Amino acid sequence: MKEAYWEDTMHSILKTSLAALVAAGVTASSAFADGHALSGDLKIISDMSNPAPRAVMEGLVADFGALHPELNVELTIVDREAWKTQIRNALGANPPDVVNWYAANRMRPYVDAGLFADISDLWAEPEFEALASTKGAMTLDDKQWGVPYTYYQWGVYYRKDLFDQYGLSEPTTWEEELANCQTLLDNSVKCYTIGTKFLWTAGGWFDYINSRTNGYDFHVALARGEVEWTDDRVRQTFANWRQLIDMGAFIDSHQNYSWQEALPFMLNGEAAAYLMGNFAVAAMRDGGLTDDQLDFYQFPVINADVDYAEDAPTDTFHIASGAQNVDAAKEFLRFVTSAEVQTEINGGDALGQLPVNANASIDNDKFLEQGFDMLSNNANGGIMQFFDRDFSAEMASVGMEGLQQFMVFPDDLDEILDRLEETRQRIYE
Amino acid sequence: MFPTPIEKRPRSTQITYQAFLPVALILWLLPLLAVALFSIKPDADFTNGNYWGVPSSFEAFNNYGKVFFESNMPRYLLNSLFITIPTVIGAVALSCMAGFALGVYKFKGNLLIFFIFIAGNFVPFQILMVPVRDLTVSMNLYDTKLGLVLFHVAFQTGFCTLFMRNFIRALPFPLIEAARVEGVAEWRIFLYVVLPLMKPALAALAVLIFTFIWNDYFWAVVLTQGPDAQPVTAGITEFNSQFRAAYHLMSAGSIVAALPPVAMFFLMQKHFIAGLTLGAVK
Repeated sequence: MKEAYWEDTMHSILKTSLAALVAAGVTASSAFADGHALSGDLKIISDMSNPAPRAVMEGLVADFGALHPELNVELTIVDREAWKTQIRNALGANPPDVVNWYAANRMRPYVDAGLFADISDLWAEPEFEALASTKGAMTLDDKQWGVPYTYYQWGVYYRKDLFDQYGLSEPTTWEEELANCQTLLDNSVKCYTIGTKFLWTAGGWFDYINSRTNGYDFHVALARGEVEWTDDRVRQTFANWRQLIDMGAFIDSHQNYSWQEALPFMLNGEAAAYLMGNFAVAAMRDGGLTDDQLDFYQFPVINADVDYAEDAPTDTFHIASGAQNVDAAKEFLRFVTSAEVQTEINGGDALGQLPVNANASIDNDKFLEQGFDMLSNNANGGIMQFFDRDFSAEMASVGMEGLQQFMVFPDDLDEILDRLEETRQRIYE
Repeated sequence: MFPTPIEKRPRSTQITYQAFLPVALILWLLPLLAVALFSIKPDADFTNGNYWGVPSSFEAFNNYGKVFFESNMPRYLLNSLFITIPTVIGAVALSCMAGFALGVYKFKGNLLIFFIFIAGNFVPFQILMVPVRDLTVSMNLYDTKLGLVLFHVAFQTGFCTLFMRNFIRALPFPLIEAARVEGVAEWRIFLYVVLPLMKPALAALAVLIFTFIWNDYFWAVVLTQGPDAQPVTAGITEFNSQFRAAYHLMSAGSIVAALPPVAMFFLMQKHFIAGLTLGAVK
């Protein structure tokens, strides 16, 4: 992964391989060959500004342009962070046709302002059934507003060698989880490393414990501000979480570390596992862990009555409501969601993440394979986008502060929940 | 004279001074030394928590190689040059002329204009952030080198004019009067009499402004984005990927970015110190 960011040659490799694939596969694909030629301009603004994603985006545009020679594709790449503040401006005045953004609640401001185009008709096409895992995340007000091009799984990455040493196996239930943890603690190994300095890592824990305790629908309702933070079901989530905290499952002083600074505890064996996104694997491998030492399991069941829901932050393409060339924009969305293209752009030499299209194939990597299988087949509850994407920006920032405080001072829970509830009422009511 | 030179102090004071100087120096340089150490470490040392120890492998060539050949750093360095040099020329040229006018001619409002120049220096530049950004956006100068240059020239001219005006005031006025008696045109007096005498001030000011502008981070972040226009101070963060901070590469990049002003200081030390004191002591 590290190399991928620096690989200048990658662009050309990707381009040639995509071109070959296009030449070979396109004639068979009805979506691309439906007769009428696209023409005019297609304006795309992308936030894929890091070196590897940038090469992917440029390759996509080049190949799409090659498929539609009459069409003039104009690509503007904006810095990923800057785009978060620029998108509203860009969609408002002189809007492009296609833009990058994020799934779920992050779409809400632009959907409410009428800046994203409703593309439910695209989702009604049979090809889109392969994207079912994220359909919920792309839906607001019963309509779909964009398409996903990549996501990555969250889950528990653990030191298999330590688990073997203490005779532990991957837990599937909360009881097994607590028992495993107790064994580790008895051997002076912390169950989990975590760095909550920048708060968001605690959000992952809340997402999982809350959705496993109360289910995906409850979690989303809470994210939409429809449930009170002082609700007993929320308290149950925190009570479950507190079991781990009271055991001393998490490393000490985690509020002082960033997620990267918390890695050494796992690498040197002081902690056995890390609830994290798949991007952590590259860092762990760089740090010297082999695939024999490192493994992955899905967050265990807490309440047997609810389905698995998984955090899988999804990056997306959308059509602006003011788009000038809607036909070309829709064709581009079909193009980026096709199994072939998603396979290519998510490969190890490109984005190194998971394709959303269930018919796509993935690289020979045990973490990608497990993640792809988990998200495609075993996330029936739904796909969460992560705390700071599902909750509104303001609620998320107050919320994550509260979660961090809870992890350090669990006795403050009542005060924290009151504060979050006040914030919820201010924002949503 | 205050403070008493160290050679004239009692021996005990001298010894204490000599003992504490290296300690203070090391403390002062510690952050820089840390950055230098980080810049030769491999990425793995950071994931393993080996921040301060001996590097597990010596990666200086690797890291600096990546900075120069596999990133946008050369481009950012070039941007910095394209921003800094026009600013230095612009600010110094304008302030020479303004300083000449304010220092040589007596006219109504001379002092008032001079005070306005000085007052400009007392405006905390952070409060200008939003209006200046809006201004550059509506002038279509946002995210361009020109926009950054124009703003820097405008903002630095205040300080430079104060500096130049005071320097010209200190020149022997009879030189100018003699030239006038000979019937030399005013602009020739400026060009052939005053300007040659200002050489030390020009050098001092140019060195000072060069370091100011090169090290600017605030306006670089506010007014530009991306490798097309951003100077090196802001471009260093590009080494961070979406999820991970590349401490080793950022450190190497910082060292590279800091070299030009440091080189400037050592090459032009005399002028630098003159620049800090010239305008002030009058």
